Amino acid sequence: MRFLLLLALLALSAWAQEPAAPPPDLSPEVFAIARELRCPVCQGESAAESNSGVAVEMRRIIAEMLEEGKSKEEIKAFFVERYGEWILYAPPRRGVTLWVWVLPVLGLALLGLGLFAYFRPKKPLPPELLEEAERRLKEPPT
Amino acid sequence: MTPALLGNLGVSLALAFSLLGLAMALLAYFQGDGRFLKGAKALVLPALFAALAAFLALEWALLTHDFSVAYVARNHTLKDPLWVTLVTPWAALEGSILLWGLLQTLYTLLASRRALDPWRASLVLAVLFGIQVFFFGVMATIASPFQTLPNPPADGMGPNPLLQNHWMMAVHPVLMYLGFVGLSVPFAYAVAAMGVRRYQTWVEETRWWTLIAWGFLTAGKVAGMWWSYEVLGWGGYWAWDPVENASFIPWLLATAFLHTAIVQQTRGAFKAWNFAFVTLAFAATVLGTFLTRSGVIQSVHAFAEGPVGPAFLGFFLLATALGLGLLSRVNREVRDTAVFRPLSREGALLLGAFFFAGWALVVVLGTFYPLLAEALAGAKVSVGAPFFNQLSAPIGAGILLLMGVGPILPWRRPRPEVFRNLYFLLAVLALGTLLGLLRGYTLGASLAVGLFLYNLLAIFLLVREGVVARVRAGLSPWSFLENHRRVGSLVVHFAVALMGLGIAFSQTYRLEAEKTLYRGQAWEAGGVRMELMGVRALDEGRRFAVEALLRTDRFGEVRPRLHFYPQMNSPLPAPKVVYTPGNDYYFLLMDFDREKGEWASLRLIVTPLVFWMWVAGVLMALGTLYILWPVGRAEEARGVSPA
Amino acid sequence: MRGWLWILVVLALGGLFYWGMQRNPKELPSVLAKERRPAPEFTLPVLPPYRGEWGETFRLSDHLGQKPVVLNFWASWCYPACYEEAPVLEEAWRRYRDRALFLGVNTQDKEAEALRFGEQFGLTFPQVFDPRGRVGVDYGMYGVPETFFIDREGRVVARHAGAIDAATLEKYLKEVLP
Repeated sequence: MRFLLLLALLALSAWAQEPAAPPPDLSPEVFAIARELRCPVCQGESAAESNSGVAVEMRRIIAEMLEEGKSKEEIKAFFVERYGEWILYAPPRRGVTLWVWVLPVLGLALLGLGLFAYFRPKKPLPPELLEEAERRLKEPPT
Repeated sequence: MTPALLGNLGVSLALAFSLLGLAMALLAYFQGDGRFLKGAKALVLPALFAALAAFLALEWALLTHDFSVAYVARNHTLKDPLWVTLVTPWAALEGSILLWGLLQTLYTLLASRRALDPWRASLVLAVLFGIQVFFFGVMATIASPFQTLPNPPADGMGPNPLLQNHWMMAVHPVLMYLGFVGLSVPFAYAVAAMGVRRYQTWVEETRWWTLIAWGFLTAGKVAGMWWSYEVLGWGGYWAWDPVENASFIPWLLATAFLHTAIVQQTRGAFKAWNFAFVTLAFAATVLGTFLTRSGVIQSVHAFAEGPVGPAFLGFFLLATALGLGLLSRVNREVRDTAVFRPLSREGALLLGAFFFAGWALVVVLGTFYPLLAEALAGAKVSVGAPFFNQLSAPIGAGILLLMGVGPILPWRRPRPEVFRNLYFLLAVLALGTLLGLLRGYTLGASLAVGLFLYNLLAIFLLVREGVVARVRAGLSPWSFLENHRRVGSLVVHFAVALMGLGIAFSQTYRLEAEKTLYRGQAWEAGGVRMELMGVRALDEGRRFAVEALLRTDRFGEVRPRLHFYPQMNSPLPAPKVVYTPGNDYYFLLMDFDREKGEWASLRLIVTPLVFWMWVAGVLMALGTLYILWPVGRAEEARGVSPA
Repeated sequence: MRGWLWILVVLALGGLFYWGMQRNPKELPSVLAKERRPAPEFTLPVLPPYRGEWGETFRLSDHLGQKPVVLNFWASWCYPACYEEAPVLEEAWRRYRDRALFLGVNTQDKEAEALRFGEQFGLTFPQVFDPRGRVGVDYGMYGVPETFFIDREGRVVARHAGAIDAATLEKYLKEVLP
């Protein structure tokens, strides 16, 4: 009885998708691939996480393609062809997205260089600068 | 008196007091007049009371279902249980800003009670009042929590269902705000120190304040991870979502500061870096709020886009400009002369700072790269978890490596006996890694095992050293516990090592599979056997629930659910998580037969060691609390620190 | 110079974020339209009220190469955007039915609700049914409603995301009409 009540309510509410048949079984590989693909309708969720209709269908497509013997790369290429490289959560190491891989390394190198200076002996400060510093420390700030 | 009236009065008064306080504090600084400082200090408490009145007015409006208040009409419904009603003030933008403002007045009060020289006290108050002016200004103009509706509805819409699915949602935002707002005090201290050019003394006091904020931030983030894991139903705890990242950046910078501050305290070096860490950490908290509220970047956290985006952007730029401007002056005037040896405490701390700052840089670049690429090249790109994971793994490993060796190394130069410990440690690291490889773990997971054991040993060595030194001095071995800073930080370090192990394993060995089961059908996956007994529906007033009844061989009956909220057009999964010391079993109901309840689609996610990550989170909070726990004056004076 | 670098940093950050606020982060270019690719083929069941005129199933390739095609993806749960554009599309179809083919693809929806939607707006152009949304994936669709404009050679010329208004529809139709 309760179930019928619920059904009535569900029918009323605008509920996104209703598959005619139960969804297919999904192996761990499906999720591994889906995790690297962006769900197109979501606000920054992967196709593995999202429960939106498109993400569900994407998982189904991945499962079907795996069954056909397609490789992970082929499956990803399938989605890139349709959605562009935007759909890849791992930015490819070429073109515009090469820089997202290069910049952190560059930044880390710069940062390392700045810190490396601490490990090298330096010339002592000129004495007049030290005196000035001493004087300033004693004075009230202006 | 209506709630809206009281609320508006509270907000206006808080704004007025803050403005007046700001003016007084600035006058005190520029005129060098102590009377103005007294005046500014006298305004701290009234501002707090005004903010509190406004906050209580919002609670009052919610509890009395006063739907003439727009915020109540939008975020509250008569069907809400009491606890949901009580936490609704931070379920949406305007209320969150009010809570933020209230916490800011609280921190201002605490900060104003600490003894400081009048110059810096004036500047600290000026900065804190300035921040209050911003928040109450926003509330008084563009995001008023007390806007009224001419035709109040009979019932409201209720808060976002995601936020009422779990009690953790009551806790996580408050902890995050306590952490974010807490970072405003170090910022104020840094600005004051830079303003009066006292580049050394501020570190000690600021470190204490930063630790408070750090503790809350850590607790808040772990609570958020736990909530995400238990509620969102995707079986993960960290998605590298822009807003998660934005709150991770201040955490990283605060962590860096907590460590480099020690270097400045002991060796006087690193002055400019410390200012940079503190100012940028605060700026990053504002940036995070800007991201959440402006819709500038796609994020699961991008709540309703409101008019506050530009305001927060302006505030962020102002804080950054103030910080960077002063910083460039510090940079001109300060030159570190100390020379470090790589094999010394300061050397390890410096490298640690490199990793934390570098990590923050990686997160910043990854988070904003899509925006940058679109602005400069017009290209739409995504930077997600695979990118961050790849770059974070080596950085995390580097941090775990330094964490073990750092506290063992003495300041300045290593003593010969230290080398014995070092070799011992490295041997354990190698052995642990080898053991992991022999057990068939991946290189990363094996390294995590090695690093965990290595850190465990390092902590043991430090505890032994401390205890032995006390016994030799004729003290009780338990007196080691009186060294709060040492003991607390060891607890936190242990927790970080444990967290590292948990992250490494849960990221490497996660099993996720989905299957549709018919009634009576059994499924064996991930070492657990389950049988679908049936599907049933429950009417729970504010929502409908559909439950799959699963009989498992190891955990008895398990009932994952789907919740249907009237305000959502797709159901929210309510996973059932069974924790065991080894693996986590995560049961999700994905779909079910709507006609006869004959079948249900179930997803099983098996993740190792997640349970220990929550233990680590609790330990981090407790360790921080232990460090901060007030020590008797006598013990502080004795200052026993044998290691 | 170095002392003033921070001002540049602040200005650059401000500029970047300000620019970021002016644009819609959800807006994505269509790969199909950008490269003028041939419209992906599909065969879908026609919704019952349209079967008399269009047959049981609809194969896109049977209709390409004669008239331009306006392909509209919609769903009954997509409120308000789909409800806003439905009358616009119907009105345009009545005017252009000799010169262009309009086709509605009901996506990730329930049949009963799709029928109710069609009735509510008196849609007379053919409607096909894609409950799982597979065709949407082939077209690189990221959210209903989206409208694709296919020229006489069967190439996708333009894609409009979100509810389409009469003026925009007119503009794109001019592009694909001979």
